[in-house]
Amino acid sequence: MEQILNVEGLCRDYGKGAVTHAVDHVDFSVEKGEFVGIMGPSGSGKTTLLNCISTIDTPTAGHIWVEGRDITGLKQKELSRFRRERLGFVFQDCNLLDTLTAFENIALALTIRKTPPQKVESLVKETARLLEITDCLDKYPYQMSGGQQQRTAAARAIVTRPALILADEPTGALDSKAARLLLERFEAMNELCEATILMVTHDAFTASYCHRILFLRDGAVFAQLERGDQNRRDFFRRIIGVVSELGGDQSDVL
Amino acid sequence: MFSKLAVKNVGRSFRDYGVYFLTVAFGVCLFYVFNALETQSVIRYLAQNPRSSTVEAIQRLIGILSVFVWVVLAFLILYASGFLVRRRARELGTYLMLGMERRQVALLLLAETAVTALAALAVGLALGVVLSQALSLFTAGLFAVPMTFFAFSVSLPALGKTAAAFAAIFLLVMLYHAFAISRRRLIDLLRARRMNQQLKVRSLGASVVLFLLGCALLVVAYAMLLTRGLLRVDDLFWVMIGLGSLGTLLFFRGLSGFLLRLCQTNKKLYYKNLNLFILRQFNASINTTYRSMTVICLLLLLAIGITATSVGLNNTVEQMAVEAQPQDVELIAWQDEEGGALDLPAILKEGGFDPDQWCVRWHAFPLYQDETGQPYLLQGDYDACVSAWGQAGADAFLDNWGAQLLPQAEEEMTVSRWYFLADYAGDPQGAEEAFLQAAGEIRGADGYQYSTRQAAWMDLMGTKVLVLFIGLYLGVVFLVASAAVLALQQLSQAADSAQRYRVLSQLGVSRRMRGRAVDIQVFLAFFLPLALALVHAVVGMTAANAVIAEVGKVDAAASSAVTALLLVAVYGGYFLATCWGSRRLLKGG
Repeated sequence: MEQILNVEGLCRDYGKGAVTHAVDHVDFSVEKGEFVGIMGPSGSGKTTLLNCISTIDTPTAGHIWVEGRDITGLKQKELSRFRRERLGFVFQDCNLLDTLTAFENIALALTIRKTPPQKVESLVKETARLLEITDCLDKYPYQMSGGQQQRTAAARAIVTRPALILADEPTGALDSKAARLLLERFEAMNELCEATILMVTHDAFTASYCHRILFLRDGAVFAQLERGDQNRRDFFRRIIGVVSELGGDQSDVL
Repeated sequence: MFSKLAVKNVGRSFRDYGVYFLTVAFGVCLFYVFNALETQSVIRYLAQNPRSSTVEAIQRLIGILSVFVWVVLAFLILYASGFLVRRRARELGTYLMLGMERRQVALLLLAETAVTALAALAVGLALGVVLSQALSLFTAGLFAVPMTFFAFSVSLPALGKTAAAFAAIFLLVMLYHAFAISRRRLIDLLRARRMNQQLKVRSLGASVVLFLLGCALLVVAYAMLLTRGLLRVDDLFWVMIGLGSLGTLLFFRGLSGFLLRLCQTNKKLYYKNLNLFILRQFNASINTTYRSMTVICLLLLLAIGITATSVGLNNTVEQMAVEAQPQDVELIAWQDEEGGALDLPAILKEGGFDPDQWCVRWHAFPLYQDETGQPYLLQGDYDACVSAWGQAGADAFLDNWGAQLLPQAEEEMTVSRWYFLADYAGDPQGAEEAFLQAAGEIRGADGYQYSTRQAAWMDLMGTKVLVLFIGLYLGVVFLVASAAVLALQQLSQAADSAQRYRVLSQLGVSRRMRGRAVDIQVFLAFFLPLALALVHAVVGMTAANAVIAEVGKVDAAASSAVTALLLVAVYGGYFLATCWGSRRLLKGG
């Protein structure tokens, strides 16, 4: 299989003197079409790791290759271009633009890539169907429910067919029903569009939709879990097992 | 505990209050400068001339105009404080949610505004004193006033007047916001930042109709102005002003109603780069936008109109000065019934004014008259005048006194009066003094009168100062006020949009593209009102020039040039500064 993401010896330190190793020598790779989760308690370095991969943060040491290209050495201008063309983002607080309707929020991701204008509408509508938000395309973010907002953000991330979709706690602000709906759409994106997804979460239920899970503790990979042919329910139980093994605070991970 | 919270809040939301603070300080500063005109060296120079009542006239006019300026500044401050309340709506909503009473929250806001206002008043007055001195130096140079009239001084009446005027404005602003806050719904306060404004009437057809109606009203107002002229101030005049203002409002209301829809139908335009984002940004505050555009358009019209008219008038006045007094000195003496010829140059020389020493060219001659009283000028004297002041100068003299040319004096004619015409040499100031002294000691004439160009210039200078100084001042006030409103509006909008630009950055929009989006928004806000104001001004100037043409020559080129220069300098400067400031605000993302 083709490797989409390859992380080698990644470190990110904070502070001077008493240095905090937020991410401490992390190695892993993600293949095309995979749906990978990163789990860990608060302060384990999940978000820092994701920020480094999404080029929002710069690592202290180590390399990140996306589609065989080292992105740690890119300049500001190239980074913008790389984010625009190769990455898709879904954030916890969805980060939709409140002045734009759902339709326009999705379309914006296309227009900034200079997609031919005549193609924009059909692409947006097609993606909206996949994420089941056709009904609320003309609404503003504050007129939609949290779940609809998050699915719109997911549509915005995938409409450009990026190499890698990065999701940071996408279900963090959703109730279980809305979370399930969103995650099912993630699965659909993964299966129907062959989207490669890297998702950070501290929630075992959310993680159980992934194919593979990396567990982080104190900035380092602590364990790895493959779903294989298991159904989601069994996989969920195994995740809970590892989470208890991780120690930490139970209430923090559940 | 309450005042503590208020003072702490001001400190904490310093950036929000900064905009308000600057606006108030700026307003106070301008108002003081305008009212402290008596400390200006130009005015002092004029005031030392006891014959002239110009200074009193100027001060009366300032009294009236400062009311007008006060109204503009009151709106400006109300506007700036509106931003403040909007930006802090969420915080105020939180206080309400925590169980504070509405009355308490209103009081808190009141206390906060009062603290800021007091500080701004002090800073503004200090700035005003400094600026007024700087302006004094500048205008002294402009009007060639001797430096002896420059002195550092503070006008106490102006200080008092400014403080009182702004106290009234603060009271208005506080009452307005206390009232507004006590009526807002809690949910709206908490969500204030995330709501997009919507026009009340949203149908496309209605907007187009409103737009066309606005254009029609403007055409009617223009036609009235051009046929009736500018100076007939009666009931119809106010109808015309009303139609023009309403037309402008409807024009922008209609335009903002269909601008977005129009662009949406053109997919190639709408789905290009950040265009859809820019248009939506523009639309998000549509209600504020179309109203402020109307106000700014009218302010700009005032600024352009006043500046252009006053510069045009000023040039006309200057032209008149040259025509009224072709020579530096004109002395006329009437001969005694029995007395012999008056040798004016000799008399003056005796008095200490030697024409050969002080003058570059001079000529003294008699004017004859027959029994009917018709004056005659001898051909020889005419030729002398032609050689000194040219054909035109000599003919002007003839025209001025209604004299006819005569080759030789005839028997029955008598000398009626003697003339002494001269232009000063090198040192006109010294020459004038010497002449005035000598002229005061003329003996042996039945009567005499004199006029000097410097005296005439002093008189006209009063008019010139009145017209130009007040015109330019008002022009600058309105120009700066409109530009400041726009700058404030755009900067605070940029601060509100910081989060949106962060999202854009995360989506991979390059810094250049974001900067361009900001520039386009600022450009739209600055140049949409300007475009209509220019059309207004062209029509208004046509009417104003018709008025000036009755008094003297219209110098359209000079007045347009000065206005354009002022506009480019002030408005363009504010535009660039706003672009730069907005970009800086958004760079953080």
